[in-house]
Amino acid sequence: MIKTENLTFHYKQKEHTFHFPNVALKPQENLLILGKSGIGKTTLLHLLAGLLKPVSGTIHIDEVDISSLRTRKLDVFRGQNIGLVFQKNHAVRSLSIFENLQARLFFSKKSIHNTAIDELLKELGLIEYKNRKVNALSEGQLQRLGIALSVIHNPKVILADEPTSSLDDENCGIVIELLKKQAKQSNANLIVITHDHRVKSSFSNTITL
Amino acid sequence: MSVFILGLSIALLIGIQQLKTSFKYQMKNNLGDIDLVIGAKGSPLQLVLSSVLHLDNPTGNISYGEAKKIAENPFIKQAIPISYGDNYKGYKIVGTTSDFPTIYNAELEKGRTVKNAMEVVLGHLVAEKLKLKIGDTFLSSHGLVENSIDVHEEELIVVGIYKPTQKVIDRLIITNLESVWDVHDHDHVDEDHEEDTHEHTADSDIHEDHEDHEEDTHEHENHDEKEITSLLVSFRNPTGFLTLPRRINENTNMQAALPKYELDRLYEYTGVGFKTISWIAYIILVISNIIIFISLYKMVRERSFDLALLRTYGANKNQLIKIIAYEGLIIVCIAFVVGLILSKMGLYFLVNNVDVMSNQKILQSITFEDFAQIGALIFIMIAAAILLAIYPITKMNISTILSNEK
Repeated sequence: MIKTENLTFHYKQKEHTFHFPNVALKPQENLLILGKSGIGKTTLLHLLAGLLKPVSGTIHIDEVDISSLRTRKLDVFRGQNIGLVFQKNHAVRSLSIFENLQARLFFSKKSIHNTAIDELLKELGLIEYKNRKVNALSEGQLQRLGIALSVIHNPKVILADEPTSSLDDENCGIVIELLKKQAKQSNANLIVITHDHRVKSSFSNTITL
Repeated sequence: MSVFILGLSIALLIGIQQLKTSFKYQMKNNLGDIDLVIGAKGSPLQLVLSSVLHLDNPTGNISYGEAKKIAENPFIKQAIPISYGDNYKGYKIVGTTSDFPTIYNAELEKGRTVKNAMEVVLGHLVAEKLKLKIGDTFLSSHGLVENSIDVHEEELIVVGIYKPTQKVIDRLIITNLESVWDVHDHDHVDEDHEEDTHEHTADSDIHEDHEDHEEDTHEHENHDEKEITSLLVSFRNPTGFLTLPRRINENTNMQAALPKYELDRLYEYTGVGFKTISWIAYIILVISNIIIFISLYKMVRERSFDLALLRTYGANKNQLIKIIAYEGLIIVCIAFVVGLILSKMGLYFLVNNVDVMSNQKILQSITFEDFAQIGALIFIMIAAAILLAIYPITKMNISTILSNEK
């Protein structure tokens, strides 16, 4: 469950203040945020992930006001409750898929049985690459690893930043479906921000910035 | 690269320290109870080097009779005459009394002490290197350097071997004074002239101004007076230091040298060399620190995205700092091991290539304090380098790094 109120953010260098519309999502509800580049999509996502602190306004995730958490607590909260998916560079390059997942779990202080990791890798079609270094993966495999990393710790919110913009039509559809499926399995809210209109039809709930 | 350079500087620092310690130890160790060395006039340092450390040529000979008179002085606890001028395969043959080995606390490993002329007891290293056993005989040759032309006719017989002492006696061949005198008296009959020139060689190169005096003593020698190279003296009490050296230097044609003082002086000279190399080592240490700093700093920058990613996984700043610091420490640990190995190898190589040293085991292990001092210095510098390199992590803006991912 996510609720934001009167969020604003200010970039000192750009002398520009963003005002964001309020977001309110019930459990398991998904949201697509559309907008051109430079309009503050990523900023909003980073606010929701607790990577940035809003100048004013509040963000509640599961009744916790993350805008008022101190850095250390915010790190822990983020590690346990939020999963991020990026456009590219989803994982630590020098580690293998399995090692990345273990690092992910280590830092979020959650222990998940190895069979559960295998299960997830199977679902995402990555099981045979389990011990392969991230360097040696294809774009599509990387994207799926990104999804795996964002859901392995059963987060409450999955935030995806332009997850499809570097993919072709076929993979674009697959990735969105996988994201929705994984979000549903871990009872998480899924928020996708993108300027990619191909994904518009997959979401019933849309905000345009 | 950075590992190797740091290793090199550590090797230099440890190596220097170890050489320094060994050098000091050797000097102190070999002094034993010797407070004063009395010998022919010349450089006091040379006298000490030749008679105490057995490293240099002697300054010349002194009359045994005169030396005996001095030895009767009440301040003197013990006076040991030594006389040498011959060698066997480069190992010095020292004629002396039975008191000589007690200076070095040398004990017999095998055999017995010298009882008659032409009997010798070998220092441990001599026996080991020349593979001589009790009962073996050999011919000595004149001078202090190995040669096959100028060989004496009398055979010397090995009657004993000392236990290893790590002191200078390990590389000496000990006999009694009579053996040395006999060998040379005999020579005088056949080749008087040659003998004379030899007696001079050590001296005349360096001390031309004593030439006259030397000639005088030589005349005596051939008739009635026995000569020795020097007299090793230990005092009954410190008052001896005040009166005796001065009296000898002023009133006799001999000189008295204080080994402690002379060796301290020598140590000061060599200290300059040690200092220079130490400075070079410190400079290399600084450079290697800068290299470690740069490589860590670069690593932090290159991996900033990975580090930011770990932050989104819930890692806090301290955890990231630890990761980078560990990486730095691993580099340093490897460098330390490399340094230790390098210094061991370097010193081994050095010791085996310097002739004087190869006859004796001279390396002393470095003291713990010295080691700790070097360790602490290196640790502090490296800690500073690592901290500087890590500093950017604390200022890292994850959001910016993540949005600039393309």
